[in-house]
Amino acid sequence: MAEKETPAPRSLLAGDSFTKAVAAEQELRLAHADQDLVTTEIPEGGELGFWKLALLRFLRHRVATVSLAILATIAVLAIFVPILQGNLYRDQDYRNPYGAPFLFHSRQLALPAGITITVPWADHLLGTDDLGRDELARLIRGGRVSLEVGLLAMLGYIIIGGSLGAIAGYYGGFLDNLLMRFTDVIIAMPFILVVVAVTAALGGVTLQTLIMVIAFTGWYEIGRLMRAQFLFLRESEFVQAARALGASDFRIIFRHILPNSLAPIIVSATLGVSGIILLEAALGFLGYSIPYPEPSWGNMLQGFEDKLLRDQTYLVFFPSIALVVTALCINLVGDGIRDALDPRQR
Amino acid sequence: MTSYIARRLLIGVFLLLFMSVIFFALTRLTPGPPFTVGENPRAHQELIDKRIHALGLDKPWYEQYPAYLNALLHGSLGDSYQYKKPVSTLLVERVPNSVILLGTSLLVSLGIAIPLGIFAATRQYSKVDMATSVVSYVGISVPSFVLGIFLLIFGAVYIRKWTGGAFAFPLFGMHRGDDQSFLDLVVHMVLPVTSLAILSIAGFSRFMRSSMLEVLHQDYIRTARAKGLSGRVVNYKHALRNAILPIITLVALQIPQLVSGAIITEGIFSWPGMGLLAFQATVDRDYPVILGVVMLVAVLTVFFNLLADLSYAVVDPRIRY
Repeated sequence: MAEKETPAPRSLLAGDSFTKAVAAEQELRLAHADQDLVTTEIPEGGELGFWKLALLRFLRHRVATVSLAILATIAVLAIFVPILQGNLYRDQDYRNPYGAPFLFHSRQLALPAGITITVPWADHLLGTDDLGRDELARLIRGGRVSLEVGLLAMLGYIIIGGSLGAIAGYYGGFLDNLLMRFTDVIIAMPFILVVVAVTAALGGVTLQTLIMVIAFTGWYEIGRLMRAQFLFLRESEFVQAARALGASDFRIIFRHILPNSLAPIIVSATLGVSGIILLEAALGFLGYSIPYPEPSWGNMLQGFEDKLLRDQTYLVFFPSIALVVTALCINLVGDGIRDALDPRQR
Repeated sequence: MTSYIARRLLIGVFLLLFMSVIFFALTRLTPGPPFTVGENPRAHQELIDKRIHALGLDKPWYEQYPAYLNALLHGSLGDSYQYKKPVSTLLVERVPNSVILLGTSLLVSLGIAIPLGIFAATRQYSKVDMATSVVSYVGISVPSFVLGIFLLIFGAVYIRKWTGGAFAFPLFGMHRGDDQSFLDLVVHMVLPVTSLAILSIAGFSRFMRSSMLEVLHQDYIRTARAKGLSGRVVNYKHALRNAILPIITLVALQIPQLVSGAIITEGIFSWPGMGLLAFQATVDRDYPVILGVVMLVAVLTVFFNLLADLSYAVVDPRIRY
């Protein structure tokens, strides 16, 4: 027993040689670092956190990664270019309405060192619209509107739908019934008519009212999903264990159920953004999104018959392509996230 | 089961009452009188005031509502301001047109999407599967009005060019003049049905594929395969029955939404259905017509929600109410 009580000096001694051994091994490892890197594989489950693993899985999904890169490019363009361009989106080139796209001419550019070079140059790369406004500038600025509406309205969905769904699913009973019937009312509302009516009531649309109306009428999908998750997880064993340990409702909801219910919500939210962007475009097309001269991809398509009759098909093409590409990329990213968060689906 | 249906129907009635209050308030709270838009600009103000007074529109909405509810309970939806006809007559005129359009496109899209989804799921990661995925992704990402515009460009402009002006799909309406023949109707339906169907095919086939895949990965399917059953029997007898359940519900839940979704397609192709009617009425503030359409959609929603829940029990005997 006495021997066991005094192991300290021996272990210290051993520690000394141990650290030397570790240092030696470290050196050896550093020397073979390149080889180590080659043989290193992504560790399977358990060693990495759930989210880190999901990120790795997402990055291995090539299509989704490329889509995310395209989306990021569109977002950066839409956020920063309008700042640089100022009023270009509403300036009219009076001499040049319906200017054709891709009209290049050579232009002398003076470089600082006194050299002049000739480059192909287009005054309006994507042409001009019926009032002679630069189509490219309008397209980029319209993208800002679309992304803003898409993201902020989705935030609204998550706040409204998430909290109502969580309450309905967690507490159940009468409250659940009441909230679900309320959801039925919201679903039964023909959305476009509501927007038109509200627009008339408010005497015109602003970005804020548009986002609010969309958020208040569209949250039910997230709400139902959240409710289903909470209904299911409420009865699961780990929640019962937490309850048995005396955890409060607040703690159970935010520490135990919520983190476990996030995956499908994130997927649905991502996919939902593309839905909102298309919705905003449809409203703009009908003339019930934000008013002129502020462009949106939808209201740039308004009066398309006129453009077709004048054979100005490019004015219909560019906003359509912008819309479809953005929505497509968002959907692909959403799908990549789904695969990353729930590998069983593959 | 009977008591469940009775309870749901009772809840449905309350739901409809609640919706009628909300929409009544929403239309009446809209500032500005309904008789300035599209009305004769030279009409005397006194006449307009007189009409507004006669319709009781100068009272606050909660004083107007009991009269509306009373009429509603007696089976009257009121008279349209614009068409000077009972709303029910208008609905009887317009609803069948919408049913023809939406019903056809629903049947066409289901007829294509369900086999496509099954085919893609049973051959996961094959070329057909990939192609289906790509097509459905693009389909989901194309807004209905963009598709409508491009179909118009193609069907009306390019086909006329290619056929040397001999043939083009009609741009709008259901019939050409007084021609009430079936063939004429079909020719008019091609573009709007295609436009509606492409979008739902994309959604439905994706849904069908994932539903089928989920079932195919379950234990009882593996058991069936292990027993030595042929792939055909396993896929179409064991798996399909369970995989089709979510689709039934999805269709039932989507039917009311189709009506409001058709507003844009009906607008682009000037199809004289109730979507176009509702949109026109909203723009012109024809309150009784708006309320009539909204209440109809609400009734449909309640009914099809119930139907979806009941269909669960029919297809899956484990579910009881």
